[in-house]
Amino acid sequence: MKVANEFRVPLWVVSRGKNFAYGGAAPVLSGSVVLDLSRMNRILEVNEKFGYALVEPGVSYFDLYRYIEERGLKLWLDVPDPGWGSVVGNALDHGVGYTPYGDHFMMQCGMEVVLPTGEVVRTGMGALPGNNTWQLFKYGFGPYVDGIFSQSNFGIVTKMGIWLMPEPAGYRPYLITFPREEDIEQVVEIARPLRLNNVIQNAATIRSLVLDAAVFAAKSQYYHGDGPIPDSVARRIMEDLEIGMWNFCGALYGPPPIMDALWTAIRDSFSSIPGAKFYFLEDRKRRPDILAHRAETMRGIPKLTEFGFLNWNGGGGHVGFSPVSPTTGEDAIKQYRMVSRRVREYGFDYMGLMAIGFRELHHVTVVVYNQNDPEEHRKIDELFALLVREAAAEGYGEYRTHIHYMDMIARTYSWNDNALMKMHEKIKDALDPNGILSPGKSGIWPKHLRERSDA
Amino acid sequence: MRSAVRTTMAVTSLVGAALSAAAAEPTGKEIFDRHCIHCHGPGSEPGTPQLSRTRGAERALLTERNDLAPEYIQAVVRNGLRSMPPFVPSDLTDAQLEALVQYLTAPR
Ligand SMILES: Cc1cc2nc3c(=O)[nH]c(=O)nc-3n(C[C@H](O)[C@H](O)[C@H](O)COP(=O)(O)OP(=O)(O)OC[C@H]3O[C@@H](n4cnc5c(N)ncnc54)[C@H](O)[C@@H]3O)c2cc1C
Ligand code: HEC
Repeated sequence: MKVANEFRVPLWVVSRGKNFAYGGAAPVLSGSVVLDLSRMNRILEVNEKFGYALVEPGVSYFDLYRYIEERGLKLWLDVPDPGWGSVVGNALDHGVGYTPYGDHFMMQCGMEVVLPTGEVVRTGMGALPGNNTWQLFKYGFGPYVDGIFSQSNFGIVTKMGIWLMPEPAGYRPYLITFPREEDIEQVVEIARPLRLNNVIQNAATIRSLVLDAAVFAAKSQYYHGDGPIPDSVARRIMEDLEIGMWNFCGALYGPPPIMDALWTAIRDSFSSIPGAKFYFLEDRKRRPDILAHRAETMRGIPKLTEFGFLNWNGGGGHVGFSPVSPTTGEDAIKQYRMVSRRVREYGFDYMGLMAIGFRELHHVTVVVYNQNDPEEHRKIDELFALLVREAAAEGYGEYRTHIHYMDMIARTYSWNDNALMKMHEKIKDALDPNGILSPGKSGIWPKHLRERSDA
Repeated sequence: MRSAVRTTMAVTSLVGAALSAAAAEPTGKEIFDRHCIHCHGPGSEPGTPQLSRTRGAERALLTERNDLAPEYIQAVVRNGLRSMPPFVPSDLTDAQLEALVQYLTAPR
């Protein structure tokens, strides 16, 4: 930090730098030095009694999982699909997983941060010398500042607390399939009250046909034509893999009588949708199988299996478009139609999922393309800009984005003459007077580079 | 889009470098089991079926092949290949990559 300040060298900080789909370890500003914290990888504490870990940024989900398994601790992790990511980096970028602890930043408690000028601060209870509640109570005293170190360039987080779920008395993953595209409207309408009331206990997902098919199969196994698969092929895939046009992946956690009661409510609610099919793990015989795979993820086992969907058309390139919308059927179908129409218009298959938060949906669409074809890059750029513009016009904004589109997304959060960005810039100037830390992250630029973002 | 990782320099923390130097160097198999097996294991992981589809069933498992040149493995690991992301030196040092390549190209 000292050297960077002295020579005014921009640093781009990553924890494990596995932020694929959003830019990997690459900086927004070319020429930045990447400060890779992978080898700051100590697990400082795992506390079984209270269910938390205190970790350094280089600790991956694989590392933490191994640590817990080796010691036989009765704790479960919550993991995003790529198990090699960093517990700290993922939470800081507002990443998501699939157990009841799926909102990672919500489960973060207490940080140590190195500010761009070199001072080290601890947040929350960590500021009280001799405290014993740093990982137990988030807010401490005074303003709650942890949030300003997420998706930002205001400091380098060097330690972070993360709450871990006690191993539940029972676990039962389930899959509900729905046969028609338009079912998404009713599925989401039904899911909202169930999620709000914690009948759906986990960060469940509603996954589209091609996304689920692509985890284990390639497009060439079903279709050789250009452009998106036609409906007849979609039907064939559904039959072949025993999945639906939409696939609801959830899980029950807790003592068996509680799981039984919750399941009755879930099954009865979704039974009103014609053609809905209900599966537990024992009902799924073929391997590989999407529920068998998701069942591991929904109990916090880190893996890389989901990278399989990047092989759908063999090109390996991918980018995520992730707008947030209310959990209503009306918004879900509108979102689905807006995005899938454009994606198909540009010749790609729609591969999406709706991750059900407490009150909102992250509608994550992955566009998989040929990374070695400049024409495909051009198409993706054009498509992405169009998706962002059309979403914003309807009041939908992205929760997270690729480094290439950060300015574009930041500009959509413009209420009251960009008041929020102006505030970010004041904080930036105060905490990082030389403007060395991660210039351009989330569209926040230091003073001397600010015109760039207007270009 | 620019390919992310390739255009960057990786700087690892001094603390980390000191720590990893103190630990015993892992064997080629241990490195494979840590970094590669999640995609190149015998199950339905992404690498195995993709190699089976595109290179033929007999070439699906890296640990059973004897047609891979050391330089090729090195190039794929450092640069990535289609959906396989690259590994930078903070993931795998040059020495670890060398041990890994020896493990994968050992006579069998
Ligand atoms: C197939 C596929 C599936 C995916 N599925 C998921 C998923 O289920 N859930 C999900 O959340 N993501 C998913 N992703 C996106 C991404 O790969 C993961 O979120 C991954 O965990 C991010 O990498 P990382 O943890 O190494 O974070 P990093 O790359 O280390 O960090 C991410 C960003 O956070 C900031 N940051 C990191 N460390 C610090 C620090 N110490 N101080 C300050 N700022 C910091 C930086 O801006 C950095 O760019 C998926 C990607 C792919 C390709
Ligand atoms: C995220 C999943 C993933 C990880 C992790 C991974 N690979 Fe791969 N690898 C793949 C995929 C997928 C392919 C096939 C790419 C294609 O479509 O050509 C591949 C291809 C390869 C090839 C080329 C084989 C050939 O016949 O051309 C080599 C060599 C290889 N991987 C080595 C490794 C090594 C060594 C590691 C660990 C350091 C590793 N991979 C980690 C997914 C992965």
